[in-house]
Amino acid sequence: MNIKRFSVIDRLFHLFVMLTFLTMAATGFGRVFVVTDWGRGLCSLFGGYEACGSIHRWVGISMIVAFFVHIVYVFAKIQWRNLKQSIFGPDSLVPNLQDLRHIGKRILWSFGIGSPPELDRWTYWEKFDYWAVFWGMPLLAITGLMMMYPMETCLFVPGWVLNLAAFLHKAEAILAVTFIFTVHFFVQHLRPSSFPLNQAMFSGSVPMEEASSEKPAWIARLESEGKLEQATVVAPSLPFRVAYLIFGYSVMGVGVYLLINGIVYSRYVTLH
Amino acid sequence: MNVAQCRKNVGICIVLIGIVDLLLFQPSALGQGEESASRVRRYKQYEVSTGYYEDYEVKPRRQVPLVGTVGVKRWLKGLSYNLSPATVRSRSFMPDSHYGVKFYEKMSCESCHVEQAHNVHSLRANITCRQCHGPEPIAGIYHYFSPMNPVRRHAYVCSKCHEGASASYAAYVIHEPSAASPTAKKGFASLYYSYWLMLILLVGTLAFFIPHSFVVGVREFFWKRKKAQEDSSHEHQTV
Repeated sequence: MNIKRFSVIDRLFHLFVMLTFLTMAATGFGRVFVVTDWGRGLCSLFGGYEACGSIHRWVGISMIVAFFVHIVYVFAKIQWRNLKQSIFGPDSLVPNLQDLRHIGKRILWSFGIGSPPELDRWTYWEKFDYWAVFWGMPLLAITGLMMMYPMETCLFVPGWVLNLAAFLHKAEAILAVTFIFTVHFFVQHLRPSSFPLNQAMFSGSVPMEEASSEKPAWIARLESEGKLEQATVVAPSLPFRVAYLIFGYSVMGVGVYLLINGIVYSRYVTLH
Repeated sequence: MNVAQCRKNVGICIVLIGIVDLLLFQPSALGQGEESASRVRRYKQYEVSTGYYEDYEVKPRRQVPLVGTVGVKRWLKGLSYNLSPATVRSRSFMPDSHYGVKFYEKMSCESCHVEQAHNVHSLRANITCRQCHGPEPIAGIYHYFSPMNPVRRHAYVCSKCHEGASASYAAYVIHEPSAASPTAKKGFASLYYSYWLMLILLVGTLAFFIPHSFVVGVREFFWKRKKAQEDSSHEHQTV
């Protein structure tokens, strides 16, 4: 028996971000590292330095569009009549004091002190993942658009702001790539509790035992509200599970490949 | 229809025609910073021009690049690319900036200007120094008649490739100082501080999450094993 965690729309958003983020990372790395052999090879995969740039720009625009669609989706999800509960309640992704307590408790537990925290529906690391993308996207989008339209940008700001934009774009991209390809992959998939793959974002549901051992407060809350029956769904079929296992691991493989090569070749390029 | 209403309608029509005229036939407000529309026209202007541009021709709309106006936008001054007089070499003002350099004919640009050779234009687009700085004698970039002088750099240098470059556009720093360097701290404060901001963000995030996830991972491994052992022993008892 599985318990429902993400809707189809949530999963589609995540799938879209996976594919576009990986494309952006590959094309962006190709352009930054084009002075090295590896970077040139990466660029030629997409049809050369110029083609790499235009793919980067078009995928970027589609990400901006998807970001606005996501904001509309979030506004539609908010229960306006029950605003306070909807924003600060346990079903919300907005961080609160409880998360700080959970961090402290989980750190103590990891050193063998006390019991694990009673996590609710969204844990603090899941909230961090969500908001990291949420604030990173506008920064990358604004600096990216500034570099896409330099003449128009310079009508409003002096040219040296483009130096800043280029620097911030690269620095934020490195931050995002490093975080996703190390911490996100490890915490969500390779950690002993969710190894080999956290199926929540692919099948939309998690096994009951997994949910009740990691997020007991959520299951208890569903039980007390009498919504547990409503939230249970059938487990995904075997072919589907095999398919997303292969897909997930190939995405992880590409990501880690990009990161390792990026680190290896980083001494041949400068940040600006 | 009475006279007042008729007059009102005529008034609305005139306003609409005015708007259409503004949009279609008047020069665009966005195009103010641009020099000219086509290559042919720009070349013609190049031939007849003194090379000096009036402020209204080259100013960006919100800010004057490189040229200070007393009391205007002082707060941006500290953050902008703004080298102190001490770092600007006196040779930058000479008509031949390499005047008196020994064995000059035998040298290449990179042998002295090592850092300057590592810029995006040379590395990515394979542009040589002389494609922008011109043939001998290379005038100092602040010499009054130099094509590199900020009053005409956009038209004489940048727009050779970047069509429609404005003076503001030409204020992009090609040979920018390394973001972490003391030169950047003095001359390009915003770049220097955004470097530290992003570094603290990166190191801070990873310094918390990597050890935290690792330690939790190890703990979970043993916790899971212990739990599995307990379950199996429990099963033995019930059997």
